[in-house]
Amino acid sequence: MRIPYNYLDRQFGPAETESILDDLRALVRTGEFTIGPPVLEFERRLGAMIGVKHAIGTNTGTDALILALKALSIGPGDEVITQVNTFYATAGAIVAVGARPVFVDVDDQYGIDARLIEAAITPRTKVILPVHWAGLPPDMPAIMDCARRRGLYVVEDACPATGAAYAGKAAGSFGDLAAFSMHPLKPLHVWGDGGAIVTDDDRAARWLRLYRNHGMVNRDEIEMWGVNQRLQTLQAVVANRVLDRVEGWVDRRIEIAGCLDRGLADVPQVRVPPRPPERRNAFQLYIVRCERREELLKYLATQDVEAKVHYPIPLHLQPAARALGYKRGDFPVAEAQAEDIVTLPGHQFLTDAEVDYMIDRVRRFYRR
Amino acid sequence: MEPTAIRVPYVALPLRAARVKRELMAAIEKVVDHGVYILGPEVGDFERCFARYCGTRYAVGVGDGTSALILTLKGLGVGPGDEVITAPNSFVASASSAALLGATPRFVDVRREDMNMDPALLEGAISPRTKAIVPVHLAGHPADMEPILKIGERYGIPVVEDAAQAVGTTYHGKRAGSLGRAGCFSLHPLKNLHALGDAGVIATDDEGLYQWLLKARNHGLRSRDEVEFWSPNSRLDTLQAAVLSVMLEHLDGWIRERRELAEQFKAGLRDVVRVPDEAPGCFHTYQTFVVLAERRNALIDHLRERGVDAKVHYPLAIHMQPAARSLGHRPDAFPVTYELADRVLSLPIYGEMTPEQRAAVIDGVRSFYGA
Repeated sequence: MRIPYNYLDRQFGPAETESILDDLRALVRTGEFTIGPPVLEFERRLGAMIGVKHAIGTNTGTDALILALKALSIGPGDEVITQVNTFYATAGAIVAVGARPVFVDVDDQYGIDARLIEAAITPRTKVILPVHWAGLPPDMPAIMDCARRRGLYVVEDACPATGAAYAGKAAGSFGDLAAFSMHPLKPLHVWGDGGAIVTDDDRAARWLRLYRNHGMVNRDEIEMWGVNQRLQTLQAVVANRVLDRVEGWVDRRIEIAGCLDRGLADVPQVRVPPRPPERRNAFQLYIVRCERREELLKYLATQDVEAKVHYPIPLHLQPAARALGYKRGDFPVAEAQAEDIVTLPGHQFLTDAEVDYMIDRVRRFYRR
Repeated sequence: MEPTAIRVPYVALPLRAARVKRELMAAIEKVVDHGVYILGPEVGDFERCFARYCGTRYAVGVGDGTSALILTLKGLGVGPGDEVITAPNSFVASASSAALLGATPRFVDVRREDMNMDPALLEGAISPRTKAIVPVHLAGHPADMEPILKIGERYGIPVVEDAAQAVGTTYHGKRAGSLGRAGCFSLHPLKNLHALGDAGVIATDDEGLYQWLLKARNHGLRSRDEVEFWSPNSRLDTLQAAVLSVMLEHLDGWIRERRELAEQFKAGLRDVVRVPDEAPGCFHTYQTFVVLAERRNALIDHLRERGVDAKVHYPLAIHMQPAARSLGHRPDAFPVTYELADRVLSLPIYGEMTPEQRAAVIDGVRSFYGA
């Protein structure tokens, strides 16, 4: 039995693939490749799904973060608070607008520890940028409360978390703006790169629509210098089809995570994080902490289970972060987790038998 | 009975795509079958083919033409306080790429003959802060690169070609994009070589720049787990790369068709408007077919009434855009650009045009001038 981490070859059956290809053929016939009707349809539907007024498609999730920060005029001299163990793009986006990332340690669910945010605020802090890391919403009510009290913006990095929610409210609907990625390994994804920003703010939405398209108010007039970071119309065709399924896929991921949790609960060498009931975790990544990690990874590889690590080096210890002046020991929880976290395949296309096999192999490793 | 009215749309992308649709869909299907959507094998395949086509050692696929310029300038060290010299009569990205990096765009006026950067004026625009010179090969005609490269070399300033409109164009036997330190291409649907959406590519012989660009387009990642420098994500989509390799196979044929049509237009219109000509040693790819016309706006209306869709590239020069206000240029600061802005007119040009449509374009213009 082979348990692949990447599920893209199981994504659509031949009939559905063919029908998406039909949609693409239809697009090729119209030739409307630049912000064509599928993009507008996608934006309307994503906004409705998240429960916000505006959704603006972008070329990537990283662009979505950069543009969201720019829409708030974040720039040189400003500080943006985020968690230290996320994907590089979160910090990369902050640096891209000229601001400084200020990292905060994480809690036992690998998300930003909301209690530590207050201490990281300085007179230069402009934004709190919580990540719905691995698909799990952080303590959004506490974060929003802190931000409102201190007069800060909140930009949600909801890149990995379409379909996630906190107390029934969708990830991406809490902050001033939120960014989504539609990279192939995200719950809502396309056949390549794609992203989106959501917001209730009319002015920010108008600015974003201009900025992602060269600052053009019309074909001949540029109101401001802008970039080209439009969502590909081709990819919007795929996104519209995936939108129909994403909630069901997340349901299945939650089901699989539950099986894995139960199957590993009594293995003393494996630590399953707490699962607070108010949070709908989209389980973009299923992460547990495991003793003798490197050995376990090697063993699982021999058993054809493709496990991974997200990520072995936290942001503050990356070569790119040298100028920020952090050192080992600054974020003890994230650093400890980086040593023993393991991501097991947890995608919606796994069969129950495959999940059982995986549990069995982890158990077998520790029984040896 | 009334004869059927002829319509000549400005572009006919579906007609172009229809000619290769089976190949396109097969290429797309192949990507869907292997599922490697991010930097899949098709990206490298296209980069190799494109580098060979351009005659450079390397090519790096990116998300769009604007990103191609931004990343290349950044890779050459352009940042706040620097100046970048370009032409004011181009698409906005030629200048916004510098502005977005915190640098100041400086403009050099163009020559009436080829509407490209006037090398005689270039030296006057160079300052101690100049970090790059970005000549544009507007409409598919190469800028006069030899004197521009000489000046760049003398001052030690790299020349980056804005070849967004000039894939396939050559200058004294060398392809646009292979002349300067790097060449930046847009592969937008309205370009001669185009994706089914946004895409871009950078051609270069500079190994250091190439290695940097590979990381810069992909989060600054040196490996899966190590980030060397903070950088955004501006990758060429694998799906679009697959499409582009198909298109590249046909490119020279399409350019040939365009050039034939351009010759027809020139022969038919030479006595009523200024038609574009090739400078000696230059191979024009007619990305746009731009004529200089008297009473231009009235001519556009006249053509529209006859079903011919013409456009203006561009009615408002970059230095006159609201976004450029802080640069403080008067409208006539670049007199040739200023004068051309009222006279340039782009006629529809594509190989798929029928003989009737071709005649409609020529007759439409001629009849306006009573010829």
